[in-house]
Amino acid sequence: MTSSAGSASAAASGGGASDAAGAVGAVWRGESARIIGALMRMVRDVGLAEELAQDALVAALQQWPGTGVPDNPGAWLMTVAKRRAADHLRRAAVEERAQDSIGRDLSTTAPIEAHSDDELRLMFLSCHPVLASRARVALTLQVVGGLTTAEIARALLSTEARVARRCATAKRTLAEAGVPFELPGREELAGRLSAVLEVIYLIFNEGYSATSGDDLLRPALTLEALRLGRLLATLMPQEPEVHGLVALMEIQESRAAARTGPAGEPVPLAEQNRGRWDPLLIRRGFTAMLRARELGGPPGPYLLQAAIAVTHAQARTAEATDWVGIAALYDALVRLLPTPVVQLNRAVAVAMARGPEEGLAIADTVADDPRLIDYHLLPAVRGDLLARCGRPAEARREFERAAALTANAAQSAFLLQRAGSLEDGAAGGLLLGASVEAFLGRAELSGGTLWAYRQTWHRLRRILGERAEVRELTPQQVARAFAIAWDACAAATWNRHLAAVRSFAESASAPHLAAALNRRAPAPDPDRRAPAPFPAAAAQRTSPPLAGRNRKARRRGRTPAMAPAEVSDLLQQPNHPLRERTLWTLLHESGAGAAAALALDLDDLDLDDRQALSGITWRSRTARLLPELIGERTRGPLFLAERRPGPGRPRQPGDVCPDTGRGRLSYERAEYLFKQATGLTLRQLV
Amino acid sequence: MRYLMTTKGGDEPDEALYAEMAKFIEEMTASGVLLATGGLAPTGVVIRSAGDEITVTDGPFTEAKEAVAGFALVEVRSQEEAIELGRRFRRIVGDGESVLQQVFGP
Repeated sequence: MTSSAGSASAAASGGGASDAAGAVGAVWRGESARIIGALMRMVRDVGLAEELAQDALVAALQQWPGTGVPDNPGAWLMTVAKRRAADHLRRAAVEERAQDSIGRDLSTTAPIEAHSDDELRLMFLSCHPVLASRARVALTLQVVGGLTTAEIARALLSTEARVARRCATAKRTLAEAGVPFELPGREELAGRLSAVLEVIYLIFNEGYSATSGDDLLRPALTLEALRLGRLLATLMPQEPEVHGLVALMEIQESRAAARTGPAGEPVPLAEQNRGRWDPLLIRRGFTAMLRARELGGPPGPYLLQAAIAVTHAQARTAEATDWVGIAALYDALVRLLPTPVVQLNRAVAVAMARGPEEGLAIADTVADDPRLIDYHLLPAVRGDLLARCGRPAEARREFERAAALTANAAQSAFLLQRAGSLEDGAAGGLLLGASVEAFLGRAELSGGTLWAYRQTWHRLRRILGERAEVRELTPQQVARAFAIAWDACAAATWNRHLAAVRSFAESASAPHLAAALNRRAPAPDPDRRAPAPFPAAAAQRTSPPLAGRNRKARRRGRTPAMAPAEVSDLLQQPNHPLRERTLWTLLHESGAGAAAALALDLDDLDLDDRQALSGITWRSRTARLLPELIGERTRGPLFLAERRPGPGRPRQPGDVCPDTGRGRLSYERAEYLFKQATGLTLRQLV
Repeated sequence: MRYLMTTKGGDEPDEALYAEMAKFIEEMTASGVLLATGGLAPTGVVIRSAGDEITVTDGPFTEAKEAVAGFALVEVRSQEEAIELGRRFRRIVGDGESVLQQVFGP
């Protein structure tokens, strides 16, 4: 070691200015929350406190390379930061006095000591419910975790500018809402604490569910979440749910090395190499869970999930898992978190513990839940349970349904393989999928009707199963499937789908299939005082009841809107071109007008924040489609026409893609294409 | 990333050092950095293999100042952060040396 060069402390790390810079960063991450917290007590504004703390950081970056790292670098940063804050307050007081000539006692800016609660207060502030959850995550990482905007951007796969803007907006929101720098009172503590736990677990899952871990610079979000959780557990040692969350995260993290295979593919719990589980983290998880238990009281959802994770961790082999214990924990969890996914997990545990029949009975209670309608694990679990119950024909149908629902090719292949291994009980009978195809293939169906019927049956086939035998279907099964799909819809939508079912039932010589279904009388729409001028093509359609998204449609000339189920079917059909799917999905998710959407340029788009300069915002489906549509393009209109404009049709330069020469997609063309596909106008798509 | 810091024996700790050390360990545990720590006995057992033969002997008999006296396993974001922790530790314990090595696995 070159101890002759530089100061003693610089020599300890090899000497040189870059090491001092590294030390500044390391000290900063450990101390920033305490510093910002102390400054909050002085200036009462998180944006300003963070800025002043950053000033101290900059001062350290300038001075430490020359002077060497001070003996107590944390205290150094704190002192400089407080001095900056005092200067700021003094200047503000002077300005104020100059303005309204009222004297002010400068002694009120006396330094305030750091308080052990500061980090905790800061956590409650950055996880405050007035902020959107993405803002809470970014702000917590910034002011509590001490990460730079660049690091947060890498972690959240965003850009530095966007993260900076999101944090700044969050700070402004907190200031405008006048959120105090205080711990929540007794009556709101439970709710506020659960918001903090949620943010920490969100950060954890953001890191945990990311499968591409090849960017070494990307800070491990799971580690940040663990540190936040461990810190919170020290600051609030009396809260069992905090220890429960820490236990859950420690144990999940203990499987990090085992949960992906060599090619990055996920490895299910039962097949993981338990030798690669980290015993240190498992032990820490145990300890945290015991601490939570010792505190007594009824276990909360995090503690129960932790206990389930701990039970898995205790099993030396997958076969040795204590399923009876896990099933009992799920019984308790489902009472606190009665979501269909928890219920389905419970079905699996109960089947392992008490036999497939009981598990199947539980799985069947969520089989009608519309929230699971596209969830491939529901039929996959049911298929597995049915097979174990000795009902191969039904199991086979469920596996086939599951295979059709999953987007993952490997998973789909696996499910089809399981389906193929089961005997086909439906051999010889007429299957639903085939007979619907035959029905739709009849020549007398015209374009609009065919589209409507296809849409109805597309959905029903997914629920009833392609290989359901028409002869064996009961009116009750059909009615149940029908209700899952359209129970929440307006009467006109309900009746239109009913017409499609009746028509099929007649044509398949099984009129009884629609017997348990009745037409619904349309509800009077309080918004519509005079009869609406229905376009001929949509004479049967009417607005669904007051869903928020439809307000715009009603305001605009009372055009009847498409029903949500129809929209979702339309957007799921992959046979439409990418550009049309993207436009329609964007219109659907944003509620924006078609003209505004067509006017979008690539420069206007903020793909990470899912918004455009014009204020249009969208959600995940559009966000998935946009990059595909944009491809390599960097400028010009977002939606392009298929060809270049002809010489007789000059365009404004802004309406032509400078790279391909293609013009902007026109409203008329977009309207025409939508009409071709649906028989409706774009305004009806909401 | 994890680092193992091993520290060679130094002077006999006094009361004040114990107190300061306890405070440091408590703080590191609270912030979620310190995963495990402990002291090591001055002597142990050496197990050697050569060919098919494995021999077990008492030892190693090194000078007290050369023997590893304690360890700390920390979970940090960067090597700089590990170094900074080592620096704080060395300031408390006084003269001597510690070695930091990144830990891989499990």
